[in-house]
Amino acid sequence: MSNPPPPMSSTPAEPQDPSSPRRNSKRPKYSRFTQQELPACKPILTPRWVISVFLLVTIVFVPIGLASLFASRDVVEIVNRYDDQCAPSGSRSDKVRFIQSAADKTCNRTLTVPKHMKQPIYVYYQLDNFYQNHRRYVKSRSDQQLRNKNDENETNTCKPEDTTENGTTIVPCGLVAWSMFNDTFSFSTNKNVQLPITKKGISWKSDRDHKFGKDVFPKNFQNGKLIGGAHLNESIPLSAQEDLIVWMRTAALPTFRKLYGKIEVDLQAGDTINVIMQNNYNTYSFNGKKKLVLSTASWLGGKNNFIGIAYLAVGGLCFVLAMIFTIIYLVKPRRLGDPTYLSWNRSPGGH
Amino acid sequence: MITTTNPPLLIHPLAFPSSNSGMSLDDAQIVNDSPQVGFVDLGSKRVSHGSRQGDVDSERFSISMSHREIDDGDARLVYVNDALKTNERFEFAGNSIRTAKYSVLTFLPRNLFEQFHRVAYIYFLIIAILNQLPQLAVFGRGASILPLSFVLLVTAVKDAYEDWRRHRSDRIENNRMSSVLVNDRFQQKKCKDIQVGEIIKFSADDIIPCDTVLLSTSDPTGVAYIQTINLDGESNLKTRYAKQETLSKVAEKDRIDGLIKCEKPNRNIYGFMATMEIDGKHLSLGPSNIVLRGCVLKNTNWAVGVAVYCGRETKAMLNSSGAPSKRSRLETRMNREIILLSVFLVGLCMAVSVCAGVWLKQHEDDLEILQFYRKKDYSEPVVENYNYSGVGMEIVFTFLMSVIVFQIMIPISLYISMELVRVGQAYFMIRDDKMYDETSKSRFQCRALNINEDLGQIKYVFSDKTGTLTENKMEFKYASIFGVDYSGEKTNFEGEQRGYYIQVNGQVWRPKMAVEVDKELLQLSKTGNNTKAGKQIYDFFLALAACNTIVPIVVDTSSPAEKLVDYQGESPDEQALVYAAAAYGFMLMERTSGHIVIDIQGERQRFNVLGMHEFDSDRKRMSVILGFADGSVKVIVKGADNSMFNIIDKSVNLDIIKATEDHLLSYSSIGLRTLVVGMRELGVPEFEQWQSSYETASTAVMGRVGLLRKVAINLETNLEIVGASAIEDRLQKGVPEAIESLRKANIKVWVLTGDKQETAISIAYSSKLLTSNMSQVVINSNSKISSKKSLEDALVSSGNFLVSDDQDAGGSDCNTSPPVALIIDGSSLVYILDTELEEQLFQLASNCAVVLCCRVAPLQKAGIVALIKKRTDAMTLAIGDGANDVSMIQMADVGIGISGQEGRQAVMASDFAMGQFRFLVPLLLVHGHWNYQRMGYMILYNFYRNAVFVLVLFWYVLFTGFTLTTAITEWSSVLYSILYTSVPTIVIAVLDKDLSRRSLMTYPQLYGAGHRQESYNSTLFWLTIADTLWQSIVVFYVPLFAYWKSDIDGPSLGDLWTLAVVFLVNIHLAMDVIRWTWLSHASIWGSIIATCICVIIIDVIPVLPGYWAIFELSSKGSFWICLLGIQIAALVPRFVIKMVIQHCKPSDIQIAREADKFGNSLELTGQEIEMNTSRR
Repeated sequence: MSNPPPPMSSTPAEPQDPSSPRRNSKRPKYSRFTQQELPACKPILTPRWVISVFLLVTIVFVPIGLASLFASRDVVEIVNRYDDQCAPSGSRSDKVRFIQSAADKTCNRTLTVPKHMKQPIYVYYQLDNFYQNHRRYVKSRSDQQLRNKNDENETNTCKPEDTTENGTTIVPCGLVAWSMFNDTFSFSTNKNVQLPITKKGISWKSDRDHKFGKDVFPKNFQNGKLIGGAHLNESIPLSAQEDLIVWMRTAALPTFRKLYGKIEVDLQAGDTINVIMQNNYNTYSFNGKKKLVLSTASWLGGKNNFIGIAYLAVGGLCFVLAMIFTIIYLVKPRRLGDPTYLSWNRSPGGH
Repeated sequence: MITTTNPPLLIHPLAFPSSNSGMSLDDAQIVNDSPQVGFVDLGSKRVSHGSRQGDVDSERFSISMSHREIDDGDARLVYVNDALKTNERFEFAGNSIRTAKYSVLTFLPRNLFEQFHRVAYIYFLIIAILNQLPQLAVFGRGASILPLSFVLLVTAVKDAYEDWRRHRSDRIENNRMSSVLVNDRFQQKKCKDIQVGEIIKFSADDIIPCDTVLLSTSDPTGVAYIQTINLDGESNLKTRYAKQETLSKVAEKDRIDGLIKCEKPNRNIYGFMATMEIDGKHLSLGPSNIVLRGCVLKNTNWAVGVAVYCGRETKAMLNSSGAPSKRSRLETRMNREIILLSVFLVGLCMAVSVCAGVWLKQHEDDLEILQFYRKKDYSEPVVENYNYSGVGMEIVFTFLMSVIVFQIMIPISLYISMELVRVGQAYFMIRDDKMYDETSKSRFQCRALNINEDLGQIKYVFSDKTGTLTENKMEFKYASIFGVDYSGEKTNFEGEQRGYYIQVNGQVWRPKMAVEVDKELLQLSKTGNNTKAGKQIYDFFLALAACNTIVPIVVDTSSPAEKLVDYQGESPDEQALVYAAAAYGFMLMERTSGHIVIDIQGERQRFNVLGMHEFDSDRKRMSVILGFADGSVKVIVKGADNSMFNIIDKSVNLDIIKATEDHLLSYSSIGLRTLVVGMRELGVPEFEQWQSSYETASTAVMGRVGLLRKVAINLETNLEIVGASAIEDRLQKGVPEAIESLRKANIKVWVLTGDKQETAISIAYSSKLLTSNMSQVVINSNSKISSKKSLEDALVSSGNFLVSDDQDAGGSDCNTSPPVALIIDGSSLVYILDTELEEQLFQLASNCAVVLCCRVAPLQKAGIVALIKKRTDAMTLAIGDGANDVSMIQMADVGIGISGQEGRQAVMASDFAMGQFRFLVPLLLVHGHWNYQRMGYMILYNFYRNAVFVLVLFWYVLFTGFTLTTAITEWSSVLYSILYTSVPTIVIAVLDKDLSRRSLMTYPQLYGAGHRQESYNSTLFWLTIADTLWQSIVVFYVPLFAYWKSDIDGPSLGDLWTLAVVFLVNIHLAMDVIRWTWLSHASIWGSIIATCICVIIIDVIPVLPGYWAIFELSSKGSFWICLLGIQIAALVPRFVIKMVIQHCKPSDIQIAREADKFGNSLELTGQEIEMNTSRR
């Protein structure tokens, strides 16, 4: 590519020199391509076009923004932080000691439904400040092992959680699986009616079908000196362990939610919900927060006003710009192609 | 640019146009006195531009050179016809040649070694190696090696193909047969088996297989004619001689025993020094005794010679070298910004590593139980830290890892893109049929591939005159014969009367070129020898027909009854004179070394050529001694006027001399090239005396050149003036218009010529370089003091003009003072260049609109270019066609060779070559402008494109505990600059046109965009960086906020970022495309589609963490809304700024584009525009 062109020909029999008369004798073949005259569209943004573009953006963005805002407004979301309440008050180290102890960690919480919630109601747990995207963490998994029983020993990438102390393979290996979230929630209404939680179908179908093997069973899991999180039922194949599948989809950001289950009945405004939870998961060591979230969903996802506001802002800005440009074009018009603006006409003789 | 003394010897272009060949090659040899230095090896050596001592030195040197014995130690001893003995002591190279670089075995190591000479690849390599360390493995093995191996592979395949072609041509070359003397018989032998010392026989039209000293030829006088087109591109025949002592030997019968002692192989194709010992005699050999590999034997039935240099030691092989390498100004400037980008890169990496350090320090105690860190590895019995070596080391590792992750901040791919783009641009320049020369059938040539964009910023054009501005096709115009001026009306040949012809054996022989003749002179010339006027005219034309080195060659035509006589010779002036003589009935028919035959008005006459003193640059004339049929002997001399008037007998015919001088003045004032002819009859004693000294001199072993010159000077005295001829060298087509265009484009055109002042000025007038409203400042000095004085005077006077100019500038344009033209000659430059006066000359010259340098030596041309180059930032361009322009072409930022009449040396030294001067206009104004604009845009765009991606990665790092996780998959990171975004930039940079050719040609002022560096400057760079920052923020933070506190997973968000950034950079490019052809559409939208396909492919691989992410993601509305919002929000500021500038401060380009589109003219009212241009 950047080698110097082949050396000048010194071999008269077959001149390689591109300038040799033999090759020169032909006139370059005319084509619109070689003459750089291919038919082309040469758009020029005239004032009318500029204003139209801005107005078009306004027309598209404002409705989308409004629709997003409405969608977000319709979403009913109950967020309840429980990590601080479900542990003895005191210093952080006390909490860490508590969570590491074998004490009973059952905790009761009561939630009030502010507005009518249409089913399905998604139950999420939210972790703050948990770096599921930490380089050390995301790399520590073996997708081959998860998928195929024969690749059980593909644990190179799983360090430092690849084998047990005596060298037998851990399935599923790696820090990601090891640290699986293990708080549990059960819901009942104030009438003491149990609210069933569906845990089927909370993970991606593609993951269940292709990514996690139906014949891969947990082995030697969570047997080490340090318990990271949940235990797995060794008789259920990985493809059916939906909590694991959800957890293994590592979150993009340090504050994230993961689907815990779905409540498939409507909740009425003013209902109170009792939550009995097992507060097992240690977030105290890194000041992480744990929250329980119940949320309905809109076409846009969860409750988030950002998109709506951003769209309205851009749409509004473009409207303002359209106005400003209209004023500029009216106040200081310039004929397109006006030669008086040329540099050699503006300052005669001067350079 | 030639080493050592650099004498400012004037190659006199008046007599023999600028050093094209033979005669002037002698000069070239003297100037080029270092034998190691060939014409291509004019590299970047220290130049001393013409010093006074030079003259003396060269004088001494040129004489001493022929005296110089070759040291035995330096010599190569060749035993004639004894290859064994020759090669006994030293193994001289065999004749097989090898231009191929690699063999099957060496290909891999050598090619890799050569490829890694490029900094870009080293950078790639270091990054890839860093990535292989387990501590730093950011990318997987495959992903980290892919880009480098891809580039290496492509280049290697290309190199292998080229080398295979070279192998093939080597094989053909090596296996050609030639006839070699073996055991006293000539046998066919493969060319590659020829050895030094062997005797080889060539027949007509054979290609000479190795450098050979001639022993004998079919011509009884030992002349051989050769064509050197393969060597230096000159198509005319050159004469080479066998030595008298050897030419009678028959190789098969007489065993030739001799020893040739010659210099070591060198690349000077015009020099050869050797001695030959044969039969006890000691002969000296020169360049005229050797035929070089690659030449073709012509017009000679056979020739026998002894091989002295073979194979790679032949001069042709030693001269094969690549095109010169220059670096473009834009690239040099770009490197500065690259350094800035490296600083940014280091800054980003520092920021990441410091933050990572702080984070680790804060969490140091928790690392052990942190689920997402877990410092310890419990899989071994002894619990150890896993991949953790303390905060300090972690900071270092983080730094190195961030370099790996952010590597494309330094747009290494840009270098490769630039090379591809230049190839594309070169393709279009070569294919441009507006730059195709019909007459010489030559296309534009790009010899240097890395300075295309410099063509858009040229400020100074240095032009040669002969052959560059003019056609270098000499045409005989006027004659002054014995004081009578024949410059009357010319006849054109109409109907049957197509010039003069003669009958030979029932065939019609005609000169190949018809010349317009003066009716009166034609009439008079037919009157014959009897009248006084007739006698004078007879003498004049006889002199023209005889006193030259032209060889007539009879060429067949389509009709068997008609033949054409083609006059082959080394000087176009001589050709013109001989054709003229033929037109007036003095047709040269045959020339051997002993006699000539001239058909004079139908009567064939034979003259013995008793001797000839060839042209040399000291005498500036040549002479021939003719023996007439009646036994009388005459010496005929032809030469430049100043050299001739010194040797003309002023005691008689004073009025004729006076009249001739007047005529000469009037001829040269209309731009004609003049020659003066003189003649003298030699008495018997004088002739005998001359003959004996001539013979002694020409057989002298040492100092022959000097001796011969002395003999010539003694003979060429007291001549009787015969007349003078005037030859027109017509301006090339379109030169005045081209110069006008260049001037309008604010490019300064300087003409540097070896011609004399009057001729130069008149050509300058006819080419509209000088106009009558210019005031001329002329500097002709002969000493340092006077040079200094005239410079100062000139500065004052031009300063005056300038001051008044300034005053007027603001006010009315009515009485502007005229622009100044500086005319300076070579002898003044001797005292100015390389002295403290240079500065003054520079100031003066920069005040002047036009600079005309006359009678300058080749090195002075380079000196003038250097004068400008050293003192300004402006880009210089030198254009020329002859060997004397080589140094100038190599000195200038851009060198252009005219591939026309003269040899190809200028072309070989040049960066670009073309057929006509006028092509300079489309080259600079159209292609140069486009190339510059495209390249400037491409560089900035590449900076942006890579930086925006790096910044998106960087922002994400801030949300991952500073651990350099990339949400974007490693494959997308790698493919980003290779596949996702690379094609459109290259296509757009090759094809986009900011303005149509028509607009650029009609309004040369638009070229000013390049002078003002409108397409690439630091303001634009910083604007681009600011824009990059904004766009990266939008791309990153819109999804971040939109998906904050959601259950989005890393790969999905990564896909969104990938698509958003790729869409964005491509739409950004689309927004800047000016001319949408189907190719632009295909490349831009194609890239976007290709990216989508790649992202999908990556996401259907189940073992990658991002399996099926894109499908899950795109099934939700928020993805599409984010994607759309990002594009618009990111581009709004750029769009607004672009529109505001376009409306309120439109560039010339913008206005011209609008005018182009809406069809209005850019002219102001007639009067106004005229004022403006006349001011320039």
